[in-house]
Amino acid sequence: MIDFTDVVKTYPNGTVALNGVNLHINDGEFVFVVGASGAGKTTLMKLLLREEKATSGTITVDDTDLSKLSYFKVPYYRRKLGVVFQDFRLFPKKTAYENVAFAMQVVGTPNKKIKRRVPALLNTVSLGEKANSFPHEMSGGEQQRVALARALANNPKIIIADEPTGNIDPKMSLEIMNLLLKINKLGKTVLVVTHEKDLVDYFQQRVIMIDGGHVSDDRVGGMLE
Amino acid sequence: MKQYRPTYFIGQAFAGIWRNGVMSFASIAVLMSCLVVLGSFSLLVANIDVNLEDLGLMNQIVVFVKKETPEDGIKAMEREIKNIPYVGEVTRVTAEEALEQMKEQAGDEGYLYDMVQDDNPLLDSFILEYVDGSHYSDIMYNLGQLDGVDSIRDQRSLANTMQSLKNGIMLVFSWFLIVLFIVSVFVIINTVKLSVYSRKAEISIMRYVGATGLFIATPFVIEGALIGLTSSMLAFIVEYFLYGYVQNSMGKAIEIIRLIPLSDVSVPVFFAFAAVGVLTGVIGSTISLSKYTRN
Repeated sequence: MIDFTDVVKTYPNGTVALNGVNLHINDGEFVFVVGASGAGKTTLMKLLLREEKATSGTITVDDTDLSKLSYFKVPYYRRKLGVVFQDFRLFPKKTAYENVAFAMQVVGTPNKKIKRRVPALLNTVSLGEKANSFPHEMSGGEQQRVALARALANNPKIIIADEPTGNIDPKMSLEIMNLLLKINKLGKTVLVVTHEKDLVDYFQQRVIMIDGGHVSDDRVGGMLE
Repeated sequence: MKQYRPTYFIGQAFAGIWRNGVMSFASIAVLMSCLVVLGSFSLLVANIDVNLEDLGLMNQIVVFVKKETPEDGIKAMEREIKNIPYVGEVTRVTAEEALEQMKEQAGDEGYLYDMVQDDNPLLDSFILEYVDGSHYSDIMYNLGQLDGVDSIRDQRSLANTMQSLKNGIMLVFSWFLIVLFIVSVFVIINTVKLSVYSRKAEISIMRYVGATGLFIATPFVIEGALIGLTSSMLAFIVEYFLYGYVQNSMGKAIEIIRLIPLSDVSVPVFFAFAAVGVLTGVIGSTISLSKYTRN
C-alpha cells in the first residue's frame, strides 16, 4: 500500500529532513509513526500528502508513484487519503454537517448522496445529535470526531492522523484512538503520527520510529524507552 | 456523476466581495473610471471619423480672386473655371457679400465690421463643387494655372487637420489605455489576493480533501468577473449621461459638428464595457491566484 525506498528529502536551505527512509506499510495496517520534534515525522507526512516531493528515492502509495505524479493529478491522488490534524481544521462558520458535506461537495459528489452519507458518517462518530452544531459549540474531542467523519467522507483507502490527540484530554484521546481502530477494522490503512508514548504503549500496534531523518526502529508493540 | 453547483461558486464569489468591501469598492471605482475614460476616447475618435467622412462628402474648393482684378477679368475667370473638367456648380461670392456674411455670423458684434465697410479687406471668391474626388489634383492644377487667382482653399486641409488631431488622440489614448488597464489589473489582483488570503485556511482544507485547482480558483475568478461587470455597468450609466450632456451642449453650440446619436452608440458601448470589464476582472483574479492555488 505505502512504500518508501531510499527516500531523501533535502529542503532548499540545505536541511536534510529525511535521509534514506525505507518502509513498507501493508494494505489495512494500523501504524504509529513516532519520533522526537525535528526527527522528520512532518516531512514524512508532507511527502505522503504530496505537499513536497522527495529529493531522491521513490514513494509509492496504492500503486501511484508520487515522484511521477503530475500537478493535475495530485487532487485526485489526495482523494485516496483522509487527513486528520491536531488542530481539527474545521470551518468555524459551518456546522458539523456542513463541514463533512463540504469535503464531498469539493469532489463533486451529487447532493442526494451527500444527504444520505453525511448523517451516517456523523452517527458513526457518535455525533448524529450534533449535526447542526458549530465547532465553537463542541468540545475538542467532538471537533476531532467531526474531522474524522470528514476524513472518511470520500471513502479514502488511507487515513493519516497527525497528532490527532494533541489538543484533547486523555479520556477523549482514548475515544479518538478507539475510533481510529474501528476505522482500521473497516479495512482502511491508518497512519497515526504521535509523540504520546502512553497511547502507543496502550494500543500495542506496529510502531515506526523516525530519528535523525531515518527509520530507527520498526516493531509491533510499545515505544522504546 | 460529478455535480459542481454553480450556486456554490457564485455564492462564494459574492461572499468574497462582501468580505473585502473596501478593496472591492476601490477596484470597482478604479475600473469604472478607466472604462469611462476608455469610452470617452473611443466616442471622441468615432465622432471625429464621422465628421471626417462628412467633410469628404462636401467636395468644395474656394478660389480667392486677386484684389486688383477687374470685373471683366473675374467674369472671364468664372467662365474658365466652369470649363475645367469635372467641376460642377460654381458660385461667385463678392467681397461685399463675404463681409455681409461675416457680419451676420458675428451677430451682436457685427457692427465692428462697419469700420472696414469702406476699405473691405476681403476678396471676391468662387465656391466650386467637384463631381469626382479622384480628379481633385487635376482640378487643383488647372485652377493654379488661372490668371488672377490669389489663393485656393479646400476642405481637405481641414480634413487633414482633423486627421492629425485624430492620430494624436489615438496615440495619447493608446498609452492612456495601457496604463489604466495595468492599474485596473493591479487593483483587482490585490483585491482578489486579500480575498484569497482571508480564505487561506479554507483553501488548505480544500486541497487536503482533494479539491482541484479549478474548483478552488473558480469562485475567485467569478469574484473578479463580478467586480469587472459591476464596474462596466456603472461606467455605462456614467458614460450614457456624459455623452447625452455633451451632445446637448455641443449640438446647440456648434452646429457644423455632427455627433453620433446616443441610441446608435449605447448598445456597442454597453457590450464593449461589459467585455473589457469582465476580461480585466478575470485576468486580474487569474494572476493573483496562480501562487495560491498551487498544490
